[in-house]
Amino acid sequence: MQTKRLSPLRRFIAIRGMASAMIAFAALIVIYIVFGLREPNVFSTANILNLLRSMSKYLIIGIGQSYLLITGNIDLSLGSVVGMSAMISATLMTHGVNPLIAAFIALLCCLVIGLINGLLVGKAQLPPFIATLGTMFTARGIGYMINGNRNTDAIASGIGKEASDKFQNFFYYGKTMGLYNTFLVAVAVFIVFFFLLSKTRTGRHIYAIGSNVDAAKLSGVSVFATTTKAYMVSAFCAFVVGLILCAQAGMGNMEAGNMYEMYAVAAGVVGGISPLGGTGLLLGTFAGAAVWQTLENGLNMIGAQVGLQRIVIGVIVVFAVLLDVVVRRGSRKRIK
Amino acid sequence: MDDLIVSMEHVYKSFPGVKALDDVHFELRSGEVMALLGENGAGKSTLVKILSGVYARDSGHMEIFGREQGDLTPKQAQELGVAIIHQELNMCRHLSVAENMFLGREKTRLGTLSNREMEAEASTILRDLKIDLDPRKVVGELPVSKQQMVEIAKALSTNARVLIMDEPTSSLTSREIEDLFRIIRELKNKGCGIVYISHRLEELQYIVDRVTIMRDGQFIASMNYQDTTMDEIISLMVGREIREQFPRVSCKKGKSVFEVKHLNAGHLVRDVGFQLHEGEIVGFAGLMGAGRTETTRAIFGVDPKTSGEINLDGRTVKIHKVADAIRAGIVLAPEDRKKDGLCTKLSIRHNIALPNLDTLCDKAGIVRRARETRMCEHAVNSLMIKTPSVDMDVATLSGGNQQKVVVAKWLARNSRVVMFDEPTRGIDVAAKVEIYHLMNKLKQQGIAVMFVSSEMSEIMGIADRIIVMCDGRITGEMTAAQATQEKILTLATRFDKKVATANE
Ligand SMILES: Nc1ncnc2c1ncn2[C@@H]1O[C@H](COP(=O)(O)OP(=O)(O)OP(=O)(O)O)[C@@H](O)[C@H]1O
Ligand SMILES: [Mg+2]
Repeated sequence: MQTKRLSPLRRFIAIRGMASAMIAFAALIVIYIVFGLREPNVFSTANILNLLRSMSKYLIIGIGQSYLLITGNIDLSLGSVVGMSAMISATLMTHGVNPLIAAFIALLCCLVIGLINGLLVGKAQLPPFIATLGTMFTARGIGYMINGNRNTDAIASGIGKEASDKFQNFFYYGKTMGLYNTFLVAVAVFIVFFFLLSKTRTGRHIYAIGSNVDAAKLSGVSVFATTTKAYMVSAFCAFVVGLILCAQAGMGNMEAGNMYEMYAVAAGVVGGISPLGGTGLLLGTFAGAAVWQTLENGLNMIGAQVGLQRIVIGVIVVFAVLLDVVVRRGSRKRIK
Repeated sequence: MDDLIVSMEHVYKSFPGVKALDDVHFELRSGEVMALLGENGAGKSTLVKILSGVYARDSGHMEIFGREQGDLTPKQAQELGVAIIHQELNMCRHLSVAENMFLGREKTRLGTLSNREMEAEASTILRDLKIDLDPRKVVGELPVSKQQMVEIAKALSTNARVLIMDEPTSSLTSREIEDLFRIIRELKNKGCGIVYISHRLEELQYIVDRVTIMRDGQFIASMNYQDTTMDEIISLMVGREIREQFPRVSCKKGKSVFEVKHLNAGHLVRDVGFQLHEGEIVGFAGLMGAGRTETTRAIFGVDPKTSGEINLDGRTVKIHKVADAIRAGIVLAPEDRKKDGLCTKLSIRHNIALPNLDTLCDKAGIVRRARETRMCEHAVNSLMIKTPSVDMDVATLSGGNQQKVVVAKWLARNSRVVMFDEPTRGIDVAAKVEIYHLMNKLKQQGIAVMFVSSEMSEIMGIADRIIVMCDGRITGEMTAAQATQEKILTLATRFDKKVATANE
């Protein structure tokens, strides 16, 4: 009865989670224009490029967190792993280790944290809030201790000016085809994980365990493996953001990535990822990260105080979820 | 035809405090439908869960297709060709029909999901089953009976040679049940072995070849269906004779207690009006989706009403929320136990006490433990809920016993009107009779009883007056003496012409 061909637009909107993602994009455009009207510089090319660069961090961690939100879990250790990645790679580079090798070692360390999260939540069945609270402190502690409880020196002091510039340009300062590399890195991460989530078996299982763990288990889905993969994805995303922060500063900062786990939740939720699991599209996370960054950028440009910025952002997050709840309640009524 | 495909011997399984299986034997041959029968908590679900790899047995042998099997995982069982439709719905609400059907065994090409292929195959299976469903539809948006059909389609799509159905019909409409029986006969002819668990014993005659009966975790008997009688089956299940399946007590019909006028709520409750009198049980018959559940929910204040008036003992009561209804003395034992009826993470005690805390607490709001214990134990005993103690989690009870807890919650207090929505779904014969007795007791106490049920026989056997609904409207009313199956069915399918065509 329903197999009639829908128009392409209707079919697009009918994709699960697409409506929420599109609402986030619409909000993004409105917010952007409102700020632009008050401060025309918002529309300048330079600002747009900057905006894309600074939203990249939120986009990448948002992707990581979205994976967990969709499984119905959360990763509070995300921000600490960002810091750990920055500190480990920077410390190694100040000791003259080749950036590639330094990054590789940092990656391994981050993935270990992801694996531990997976074991604690997927195998030992700890509540994810508690398990990742533990790894959050642990990872931050490791980040502190790597360089003896202080920030690192400039990475150029170890690997030399030339290599340091190359590293910093690759992740932050350089441009390719007119866009900052940071944004391109984020887009690459987005494409890979978008594919993984929407086109592969693992992705399907991630939605399934977020929707109904028992049903997934009885269908032969390994909850442990799937949960662990999700935590590994988020650890990987944190690792990338750590490198970006390290490149931006040209050194390792112990507080790098502080609170990022929460920004990541906000980006996902604003983009329509249900914190209860089972629904959401990474496209939404993209919009969510952009909304987040546009707000921060716009409020800055019109000269709003930091306090006000926080309040606005807090209100927006709650409002986004509220909207989601209302939309969902509305659509359920229609079905009945 | 007659080769043994499953053979289980000396199977034991214990849960904390319960011996769920105690030296059980079970055999299944290819090309036969084996009914697995027993009271609630007899261990039927536990046995089939061991066969399908959900639980591991404590000890015993299990041979599938002639090969001894150790502990299986659900996936291994599936690969061996054992599929199960679980008693409780197990669907991912956010995923589509096709995604649910292929969950855990998705088709991929080069690591990429082949959605087209899965949707096409799902669509073929659904069409074979004559299920009118778009495989891309999200499961959470389907009515329960359709979800159940998806569950069945999912099991069939694995090309299983051993198919287990744990109460597949408890939420299906009669049309769908007929379709299911047709499918079962086809599978049987193809040489599949089917294990069929149901408390609706009248279904057995249409499909079953043999029966295995369990009681209290033990194997009682196994025989050909042809060679036995229903009375024998029941007495083997219950361990004693049940004299009357539908005990009816007659009392004088008194004054009107409860009246609903012109109630509207959503499009499944349209201009509903009826009266309930003292000393009578009013049955609400109809097909699944006729709006009976929605009516009870609107009265109880769960769903908003658009208009309507509710009178209790001649006075109008305003019900905006559930607490208003409870305070007025109107209660509802809801239909979907997992969703509405129980807090599955809490104990039996806490579940029963929950709506009764007003009577259980002292002035300072502290729960009086002794009184609570008395209330719960009384409820457990009078409904024969099978559990070692009232402090067990309700999630560990067998399906039927969970249903009894739902009913027990509401019987522990004094009410004026009690609405039962499918109170006997998934309950064994003996417990059904207990629930009928309970309703009769309420009736004798002058409490108005509204009894929603899709099982024709019990409505005709227990209710004094029958109201039939279809598509949100009341389409007719009759006394029990006037009622016949045909009459009820005609009324239950009296769709407004306009609506019927609009829905095609
Ligand atoms: N996970 C569990 N933990 C503890 N006890 C359990 C568990 N599962 C089942 N039981 C107990 O094992 C016994 C058998 O339960 P089972 O579900 O097999 O009964 P059943 O025959 O399927 O009943 P019904 O007809 O009500 O579905 C019951 O006493 C039940 O309380
Ligand atoms: Mg059962």
